[in-house]
Amino acid sequence: MIFYNPTENDVLTSWIRYNPKSTFIMTQLGGIKSIDVVAIMDQLSIQLAARNIQQLDANSLVTGRDFQSKIWKLALSVPIGIAVVSETMPQSTIANVFYELGLMNALGKETLVIKTQDFIIPSDFIRTEYIEYDDSFENRFTNFLNQVLDQAEYYRILADNLIAKPLLSIDYLRRAYLITGENSHRQRAIQIIDENEFDEHLLLMIRSYFNIQN
Amino acid sequence: MSVKKRVVQVKNPKTGKYVKIDREKGRIVAHKKSVGPYKNVAVARKRSA
Repeated sequence: MIFYNPTENDVLTSWIRYNPKSTFIMTQLGGIKSIDVVAIMDQLSIQLAARNIQQLDANSLVTGRDFQSKIWKLALSVPIGIAVVSETMPQSTIANVFYELGLMNALGKETLVIKTQDFIIPSDFIRTEYIEYDDSFENRFTNFLNQVLDQAEYYRILADNLIAKPLLSIDYLRRAYLITGENSHRQRAIQIIDENEFDEHLLLMIRSYFNIQN
Repeated sequence: MSVKKRVVQVKNPKTGKYVKIDREKGRIVAHKKSVGPYKNVAVARKRSA
C-alpha cells in the first residue's frame, strides 16, 4: 500500500488510474524492427484482442511529466507486463525493457519475456518466465494467458482466506480485480472497507485500486 | 453445514506448489518445496458465486 515514486522518492499520495484487463508491452517502439519482432507483436495483438485485454505501451500515456514517472505509473496501473526482446534491438532499448520488467516484478505484476531464438536472457532474469519465438509460440502464449487467469483465481482464494488481515486480503483482491476486471472482487473490497477502519491514506489507495468514488 | 478449518492450503499456479494458510492469523505459514499437497490439510477452493 506504500508506493514510492522513483523520480521524487516520495510516497505516492495521489489517486492512480488503474487499468484492469490490460498489459504493458515493453519493447522497441520506434525505429526499424526485425521481421520476428513484427510477427511477435502481430500475434500478441491478435491473442490479447481476442480476450479483450487492452494493450498499452510507453506511448499510451500523454502527460507533461517526465518519462520515468510516466512509465512507473503505467507499470503500476496494469496487471500484466510483457517484454519483447530481440538481439536486433539497440542495447539502450534492451536496458530500458529490463528496467521496466524489474519494476513490474517488484510491483507484484504478472510478467513474461518473449524472446527471439538468438537473444540471451540476462542472468538476473533466468528464473523469470520466458517464451522463445518459434513454432510453439502461439500455444505457449495461450498457456501463459490461461495461467494468469488461474493466478487471479488463486489471489481471490487467498483474499477470502486471509480476511483476518483485511489489508492483505484487499491487496490480493486488487490483483485479482486488475487481471479479470470482475465486479465481484470490487464488491468484496467495498464490503471489507465498510467492515473495517482504515486511515485516510489507505482509504485513498484502496479506493483508487478499485475506482471507488466517494 | 461444513466447519471451516483453521489451516488450509492452495496451489499457486505460478509455481505449481502448495501454500499453507493460517486463516485465524491471516498469514501464509508455509510454502511446500515438493510437488503435491500437504497431507491432512484441507484444500481451499473458490467460493461459488
